[in-house]
Amino acid sequence: MNLKRYQNELIVLLAFLLLVTGFVYKSTQLALQAENAASAREAVSELKEVIALKKIWADKKISQKVDKLKILIPASKVSWSKKGKKVTAVYKGVNAKELNKLVSRLLSLPVVITKLDIKKTDATYHVEFKCKW
Amino acid sequence: MGSNKPLLLIHSSIKTLSLAENVNIMLTPQFYTMKKEALPLKYHYQAKKIAPSLFDGLLEEGGEYRYFVFKEGEEWVFIAYDPGKISLFLREKGISPEQVSKLFFAQQALDSFTGPVLLGEKEALVVLNDAVVVVPRTALAEELVPLAVDNSFTPSSGVVLEGSSGSLLSDKQTMIVAAVFLVFATMFFVEGWRYSHELKTGEGEMQRLLEEYPSLQSRIKRENIAAKYQTIDSMERKKREVVKTLAGMIFKGVTFHEFTMNEKGFKARFSCRDAKVAERLGTLAKKENFSVSKEAGSNELWIEGKL
Repeated sequence: MNLKRYQNELIVLLAFLLLVTGFVYKSTQLALQAENAASAREAVSELKEVIALKKIWADKKISQKVDKLKILIPASKVSWSKKGKKVTAVYKGVNAKELNKLVSRLLSLPVVITKLDIKKTDATYHVEFKCKW
Repeated sequence: MGSNKPLLLIHSSIKTLSLAENVNIMLTPQFYTMKKEALPLKYHYQAKKIAPSLFDGLLEEGGEYRYFVFKEGEEWVFIAYDPGKISLFLREKGISPEQVSKLFFAQQALDSFTGPVLLGEKEALVVLNDAVVVVPRTALAEELVPLAVDNSFTPSSGVVLEGSSGSLLSDKQTMIVAAVFLVFATMFFVEGWRYSHELKTGEGEMQRLLEEYPSLQSRIKRENIAAKYQTIDSMERKKREVVKTLAGMIFKGVTFHEFTMNEKGFKARFSCRDAKVAERLGTLAKKENFSVSKEAGSNELWIEGKL
């Protein structure tokens, strides 16, 4: 076959093949990007979640924060026992205001509450909780 | 290359030929119009650009002319030719445009015309005032020995005759279509490259976080930490939610008495002012999917649930 006879068609065909190759390349990259971006986003969000969870539940200052629950109520009403990463506390005769303060503070701490008992006796409350971290 | 092919001098009185191979063709001035100008032009493209204006009024109307420009000493040589007419003539003489490798003009081989070249019985090609022209043979001096045109006359550059390729597309159409395709192809490649680059940026954030928290580099470790803390997180949030919900149930007419919660569940006791309040409290508790129990004839309610 005389290629020169069809040189113009060959040039156009070659340019068209380049166009198709470019389009395929772009489409592949686009699909890859969408796929990888989704998995990267998922991985980043998972990692961020792990970091956030670690920041909350493995906070090194939890112990100090828990200690503040001891001084929140007058010492005469508090019976406090701390062993390692576990605390057992008993509060006797706390009024409603103190109860609210105590419960709010306890719930805001990133600790595992294993026991929480509140009992009303006349106008005061008896509170007992056990927590660990 | 064109110079490897036999060179054929084409003139108006040439006889019909039958070619077995492709040839280069040299045209006599019968097929082109030539102009010489000493113009202060530096580049070939500048000369080619002004070529059409130089032939204003000189060319036959209705022709589709192309221009060929070259430099001869200090002067620019402008040649106007009509490829359509040339092709038609060549076909009439048995030469199809596909058989033409390159087209040259006699003026290009000025230095090779050291003597007259006979064109048929009546005419001859000679050099007069630095121009290759056709003259009657009778005008030649008898002692002049005629030359034969051979491959040594082939100039270094020539033109490709339009339609010589036998393509359906013209050169211009080919250039336009190919250029459009190439522009789009380039756009697609650039876009594709950009996408692949953006892809690496997404990976960058992950890398930055892992560098910040090297202890989380291992995927297994990350999964273990996530599994451990997610369980704690969801359970503890549930406990806090229960306390918050129960606190919200203490409204006018409801008195809180006791609450107890452990890892498995919770239980709370409320006393209500009357049956209506007790019923409202019970409804509220049921809405939260808590179990409600009440002793007959009493307005005291036990609300309990599992964690």
